[in-house]
Amino acid sequence: MEQELADLAAKVAALEEGGGWTTSINLEVFYWWCTALMFIIHAGFLAYEMGASRKKNVLASGIKNILAFAFMIPTFFFFGWWIYLAFPTGLIPDISAATADAGAPWADAMGPNLADNATGIFWAAFTLFAATTASIFSGAVIERIRLSAFIILAILLGSVVWIMAASWAWHGDGWLLTELGWHDFGAAGCVHMVAGFFALGVLINLGPRIGKFNPDGTANDLSPHNLPFAVFGLMLLIVGFFGFLGGCIIYNGSGQWTTIFGNPVTLSAVAFNTLMCFAGGIIGAWLATRDPFWMMSGALAGIFSAAPGLDVYWPPLAFLLGVAGGIIAPAAAKVLEKNLKIDDAVGAVSVHGVAGCWGVLAFGIFAAGYPNGDYPATNFMAQLVGAAVMFATGFVPGYVASLVLKVLGMLRIPEKAEILGMDKAKVPVAAYPEDLPPAALAAE
Amino acid sequence: MGSPIETWDGAAAYFTGAGSAMPGVILVISAIFCVVAIAMGAAHEAHAYKSLED
Repeated sequence: MEQELADLAAKVAALEEGGGWTTSINLEVFYWWCTALMFIIHAGFLAYEMGASRKKNVLASGIKNILAFAFMIPTFFFFGWWIYLAFPTGLIPDISAATADAGAPWADAMGPNLADNATGIFWAAFTLFAATTASIFSGAVIERIRLSAFIILAILLGSVVWIMAASWAWHGDGWLLTELGWHDFGAAGCVHMVAGFFALGVLINLGPRIGKFNPDGTANDLSPHNLPFAVFGLMLLIVGFFGFLGGCIIYNGSGQWTTIFGNPVTLSAVAFNTLMCFAGGIIGAWLATRDPFWMMSGALAGIFSAAPGLDVYWPPLAFLLGVAGGIIAPAAAKVLEKNLKIDDAVGAVSVHGVAGCWGVLAFGIFAAGYPNGDYPATNFMAQLVGAAVMFATGFVPGYVASLVLKVLGMLRIPEKAEILGMDKAKVPVAAYPEDLPPAALAAE
Repeated sequence: MGSPIETWDGAAAYFTGAGSAMPGVILVISAIFCVVAIAMGAAHEAHAYKSLED
């Protein structure tokens, strides 16, 4: 009998160990594929940004987009992840050993480690979030920003600014949650508002593309050179957002999924609402514009409009919020262009910034009262204050840093290069060599 | 740098050079490389645009 009990205990221990490994491996696998899906966001951004450029700038736009991604990865390793872990309580970092051990670039956790199956995979997912913010900004400033200035600004946005906002707004100890009861499941604030309004701050200093506005202030249409490619890129972005939203969920292995900030959630909830607001955004933008570029941008705006509450909304409400986002985004783009004379080449400020803001505030209107454990329940004032914080956290660094670069003469390319086209000025290959005159082809 | 472990039993951080000063040196070189790469990119841009002006 004793031997049987011992055998049984050994079997139970083996099963427990196996179960523990299953949990660890499943966690890694889940975020591994979320990260892979988020790469599709960047395939989308690349296609959409190159398609939205004029022919003379298509490769320069592509280079800019690719390099933003490339520089985001090491810099997010150097300091981005540590910022997320160190700043949840505000502007004073937690420099305790616990934070340094978990997120400093020299920590044992920040490399191959058999005792840590989580840090690398979470770092990777957050790095892709960071790259998303940089790509949002990238599209707005095409065809006239200096590449080096753009890289500096992208690093500032992706590896410092947004992740600081994420530490406040997403982290389980973030002060917006613990002090106010803020709720933003899908990062409408810390990713989309911050990136959109960072772009606005830069656009003010960068100025419009040559030829965008007439002397009387009316705007010209500097049409994308390949609209179908841009629209396809936008659809790819949507595919990638399933990875992005998956990355907004914590896999707990033996228990219910939770949001990043610890509330229970199901993938089913997110599936219902993501599809509904996506559809609403398309239909809203279709009614407002009849333009396929805006219909797909409207799909994004629709998702951001419901992103804060994808975990709790009644799906038809998410649909209507998406419809509103699909109508609001192109309307905001018109105001920016006609009234404020802002040349946002892809509508990043309106789609990400304005629709994200609408989403954050809409949550306060439609989803107040959800419990947050020991912290305040969700409420409108938390969303309003949080929206103001997200706006300022994006806009102020974007404006100030780009102003410094402008004063130093490092922000914008020379007029002659802008008129000729950036590809011809500095890219060693041609996007469409068949378009070159026969003499140039013969010389090649 | 090389392996910091002699057996996989009980191994935790096992990346090249773990526990020594070398990862810190590589980290600093990596960071400096990024700065230099941006500076070289800026110089290339400035040269390209200056050539165009000339």
